[in-house]
Order: sequence, then structure tokens, then C-alpha cells
Amino acid sequence: MDREELTPHLEELKRVLGDKVSEEEILKELDTYLNVYRVDVKSAKRGILKKHGAVDPGAGIGSGGGSVSKKIGDLTGSETTVDILAKVVFAEKKSVQIKGSPRTIVSGILGDDTATASFTVWDGENCNLDKGAVYLFKNCYTKLWNDKVQINMGNRSVIQRENVEMATPERQISYSSSVAKVADLREGIGNVTVTVKIVSVESRNILVKGEPRVVFSGIAADTTGKVQFSAWSDFGLQEGETVCIKNAYIRAWKGIPQLNFGDRSEVSRVDDTIGDIDETALSRKSVGEIVRNGGGIDMTVSGTVVDVRSGSGLIKRCPQCNRSILGTECLNHGTVEPVYDVRLKVVIDDGTGAMSAIIGREVTERLTGMTLKMAMDLAKARGESDAVARAMAGKVLLRHVRLTGNVMSDDYGPMMIVRDAEEEDTDIPRRAADLLKKVEEAVM
Amino acid sequence: MNARETAWRIFAGELNASSLERKGDDDTSPSYVVTPLGSMVNRVMAAGVMTEKENIGTDDEPMWKARVQDVTGSFFLNVGRYQPEAAAAMANLDTPAFVAVIGKVRTYSPEEGRVYVSLRPEKIVQIDDRSRNLWILEAAESMWDRLLKVRKAVTNPDAGVNDLIAMGLTSAEAEGITMALDHYGDPDSSRYLSVLQSALRMLLPDREIDLGLPEEIPSAPEEIEVDEEKGDGGMSSADKEDVILALIEELDDMRGKGAPRSEIDRRAAMEGISEAEVEEISDALMDKGLVYEPNLGYLRKI
Repeated sequence: MDREELTPHLEELKRVLGDKVSEEEILKELDTYLNVYRVDVKSAKRGILKKHGAVDPGAGIGSGGGSVSKKIGDLTGSETTVDILAKVVFAEKKSVQIKGSPRTIVSGILGDDTATASFTVWDGENCNLDKGAVYLFKNCYTKLWNDKVQINMGNRSVIQRENVEMATPERQISYSSSVAKVADLREGIGNVTVTVKIVSVESRNILVKGEPRVVFSGIAADTTGKVQFSAWSDFGLQEGETVCIKNAYIRAWKGIPQLNFGDRSEVSRVDDTIGDIDETALSRKSVGEIVRNGGGIDMTVSGTVVDVRSGSGLIKRCPQCNRSILGTECLNHGTVEPVYDVRLKVVIDDGTGAMSAIIGREVTERLTGMTLKMAMDLAKARGESDAVARAMAGKVLLRHVRLTGNVMSDDYGPMMIVRDAEEEDTDIPRRAADLLKKVEEAVM
Repeated sequence: MNARETAWRIFAGELNASSLERKGDDDTSPSYVVTPLGSMVNRVMAAGVMTEKENIGTDDEPMWKARVQDVTGSFFLNVGRYQPEAAAAMANLDTPAFVAVIGKVRTYSPEEGRVYVSLRPEKIVQIDDRSRNLWILEAAESMWDRLLKVRKAVTNPDAGVNDLIAMGLTSAEAEGITMALDHYGDPDSSRYLSVLQSALRMLLPDREIDLGLPEEIPSAPEEIEVDEEKGDGGMSSADKEDVILALIEELDDMRGKGAPRSEIDRRAAMEGISEAEVEEISDALMDKGLVYEPNLGYLRKI
């Protein structure tokens, strides 16, 4: 390849590398790549750009292929190289730590006529984006996070301002706000409308991204269930009032759905259609419901203890992190003087489903009649701590109990952190009479 | 999600009448027995009277076989060395005793179309009669619930699985009931109502419970059908039951072996009850949980 043929490529490289590298040097390297090592032009250019640490504007400069243009609404979250023409809806510069070193990034929201999506410019030091202006973002890559597409600009990306006007879809209130009952709230739901009674509310001062904010959180309920909420703006919520919340969204913490609403949401006082909240009736769930719908707060289930799992009985904990440990070694704190504790890890099953439950010391002692001291004495007398687990299993296995607590949920199914447990005291004749009545009514 | 399989409260009669299996889609997914009322059962909670137990293995490596009787029939238990906890519990249990069992359902099919259902217990614990009654109540409630759901499917014969889900059934219920109706046909509701009747009679002994059903419905489907009417000597079947029950009590050797059947037959013949009738009545008494067979050829009151 002679000088003449190389010229267009040389020009491209010069454009990208700017005055970092002299023309002679680029030419020399191009010549080495192409004529000595006989690699193709595309690879040669990429190699040269990499070597000089330049932003490589695309897998193939001048190769014509590689990058395609897409609308935001068409992005799948798996694009490796894509060009996007979009308006900056919102952008801010932030300093972050990436692998221990400080970095300036720009993040915000981009929109075109099809949709909006969040974006991040990972090398944002010299990137200044004007809100409302339209840019062509070349060689972006996309990722999926929480089922939403995110647009990323790495060191291969180029951002060019375009002098065009662009309308973006209304990001505000509800183009498809769905009405839901508390029992139907699931992780990941956005844009939902609920009518709830505020059971309790308190304000908390927290730090969000280093800035102090006041969040109003508490418990809300309707006739189907209770849910924790966080209001990110002050709606003047009062205990006992019934409100209709439009454009709320659901985030989950360990499988427990939480209702969130803020300045994009509308809160209006409505007539009390919920009535008095019967907390006992509300919290009563069948295990089957919990397995299908996920966790929640203040739930009560009745069922049979069908298994007592390993990790029950007398256990040792690290005095610093309170984690359960084997022997005297804490994974985080090395050799420690363990603190003894008793607990139960059981499976409770009511015939509609099965779930785990963790029962702490106080309730375990009450349920098994075996105190921590008795457990330690028993372990000492037998020379093994498994004896405690066996003795405790003998006390609770196949017993009917009623458990109350918060239920978390993960891949292994729901798990209740038991706050209170009681022996189930079903009125068998009354329930049998109820059943008889139903059967008779249906048969007669 | 890998949810643990539910322990179904289900009467022995319904479980033992099952002849349909739904194998898992791959090696790691569970298999189910689909009962005539459409429950997809992998694990069971059973409760009743353990009427017999036998170690068919060795002392070192026991293999227990046992029967646990409820108001409809018997659960058949097999406990081997892979259920050490249940095996240890078995060794310490005396018959008869009220027990509750958590176990996995196993099937055995010696020939096409014939399926025997047994339980492989994970846990077995002696319980009191209150717990036994609570189990009967739960099993009855569960059966009633399923009867209503099956009825929904039967009255909407064109409804597919998704239509049933739209009517409020869970996907497992809709799938199970659809498979059950395909395989077993519409269930004979009088059989299940009679089970409910016996259960409720047990739970509410002071109430006169009559669901207007023909009495003497054979309760355990795996049993041989016997002719209802044999030449009667003026005694009602209830009277005959009382006679046999009294004989079993009288002839009991009180050392745990029970009353020999041959002797019961001889004495019953003197009362005008034929050998075939004794057989029939003692089966009925066993089904009602009033007598059990501690040894082959012997009967004893519970």
C-alpha cells in the first residue's frame, strides 16, 4: 500500500489522535502494520489508536459497518455499538470511585420521540451536555438494569451536538397508571395508583448522595394488606387519613415490596372507603398466598412445623458482627470468643404451601421450654451441641403453631423472621361446624 | 423459584385411588401423583392410627413397613435407611398409636393400569387425639375446597387451563384438575361427600350429621367390591357390626395379639353371620378406625 492509498486512513487517524502524535509517526506505524506485518487496514487503525490511548470512534473507522442507528424505544439492552440521536432531558456531572480511582462521569436521562432512558458517560471530565439540546451519541453500548435499558458511552464513543429540535414523550404522570390493591403490589411495578389509609407515619432525616433529605415513611394499608411506604416529598400525611396516591412505584427490599412516591406523584385526600383496619385479619395469610405473592410486613401464618433445619439449637455467634459461626472462627473477624445463642430454623406448612421461618432466642425458649442456660447445660452434659437441636426438634416437630413476623423472599422462597409465636389453638368443633354448614348448603 | 413442596393434607382414600403420575420435566424437577380431585401431590402430611408396623429388614439395617389408618383407609409407609430420622422414630413407636407423618409419595406399578401408592416418611411423630382431629379437619376442608374447584371445571367442560386460572384457580390447581378429569373422568361426588360425612361425624360426635347419602359406600376404592345385600337374618348391618365388635373384644387374648379370626368366624356363625359377612364387616370396622389387624389373622379393638 503506497502513500496515496494510505492518505484517507492517515487523515482519519490524525483527526482522532489530534496533535498527540505527529503525522510522520502515524504514517510510519501504518506502514509497519500494513506493509511489514500485513494486517488489514481496520485492525491497523485500531491498533494504532489503542497504542496512543485515543478514543476509538468505532470498531471500524471508515469501514462503514459496525455501528447502527437506533431509536431509544428500539434498544434491547444488548447493543455493543449503536448510534443514538437524542435530547438530553437531564444530565449531571458526578465524581465517583471506580476500582479505587476517582473518575468524573456524566449521567442523566436521554429521550427521543419513542422513549427515554438513563445514560452514563464514563469519561465525563470534558463532557458538557446542555439540558434540552440534541446530540448524536455515536458508538454507545447498552445494558439492562432492573429490566430497563441503560445507555453507556465509553472511550469509543463520540458525542456531537446537532442543531435539531426533538420532542420527547411526557415522562411525567401516568400515561398508563394502573390501579392496584396493596396485596397486588410487586417488586418493579412503576406508575401505580393506590388508595390507602395511613396507619403510621414519621419523618426521618437521611443522606441521599451526600445531601440531607427528609423522607416520610410509615405503614399504609387497604382491605387487602399492609405495606411500608416512603414519601420523598412532604405531602403532609397524617395518621388515619385515606389518600389516593397516583404515580407511585414499588421497590423491594429483600423481597418485601415497599411503596414509594415523590415529586412526580400526586397525593389527594379521598373519602375513607377502607374503614377501620382490622390488623389481625389483615395480617393473616395462607402460606400459599405468600409463596405466590412474595414477602411483606407483619404477616401471620398458622401451620405445622414440618421440618427443623440444620443451624437450629445451640449456636455460636461472633461477638462483633453477631453472625453465626462454626467453632471460634469468624469469617470477618478471625478468632473470637463466641457468644452462645439458641434459635430455630423451621419449615412451616399449612397445606397450601411451605416456607422457612427463623425463630430467635426469646421465642425459641418459650416455644421449646428450653432456655439458653438449659441448652448449654445439655450440650455440656452430652458433650455435643447437636443434642440441643434434637431435643428442640422433638418439642416442635409436627406441632401446630401460629407465627408472626416480616417475610422476606429470595430464590429459595419466602422466609419469615419470626417476632412472635404461639401454640395454635384452633376451635376445631367450630371450624368443623362451619364446614358442615357449607357442605349442607351446597348439597341440600 | 425452588419452593419446597407442600405437604398435602389428603385422606388415604383419595391418595390410594390415584393412578396418574406427572413426571418432572427433567431430572431435577419433582414428580407428582395426580389424585382424582386434581391435587398434584409430591409430599403428604398424614395422620391417623398406626395400626401395624413390621421390620422386614434386619436389626442393624431396619426397613419398616407400617400402616396408618384414617377415616377412609390406610396409608402404607415404607421407611428405609435413607430416612434415618423416621426409622429411629419408628423403632420407638408402639402400635396402636396416633401418629402424624410427613412423607414423600411413592408409586409402584406391578402391571399396566394398577398403581399402588405408598409414603416414604421424612418425619413421623406420635401425636394426641386433638392433633389428629385437627388433621382430619384440615384434610376435610382441603377436600371440600378441591371438590368445589373440580365442580367449576366440570361445569365448564370447554375451559382450558388458562380459563380455569382466570376463574381464580392457581396454575397448579388448573393443571392438576385438567389432567385428573382427562384421566379419571368426572369424579363421583357422593363418594367424597361420604368421606366428608365420616370426617365431620368424627369431629362433631354430638351432632346428627346426615348429608342424605346412601350409606355403606365403599370407601377405599382399591378394595374389592362386595355385594351389599346378603341373606340377612333380620339384623341390620349396624347391629352386625356391634356383634362383631363385641366378639373381637371378648375374644381378645389381652396380650397384644388380638382375637383370632377363625374364632370370630365360628362365634359369628352361631349368631347367624356368614364368614363372608364377617370379612366385610371387619373391613368396614377397620376403615372406621375401630379395629385393626395387629397380626395376620387376628383382630383387635383400638
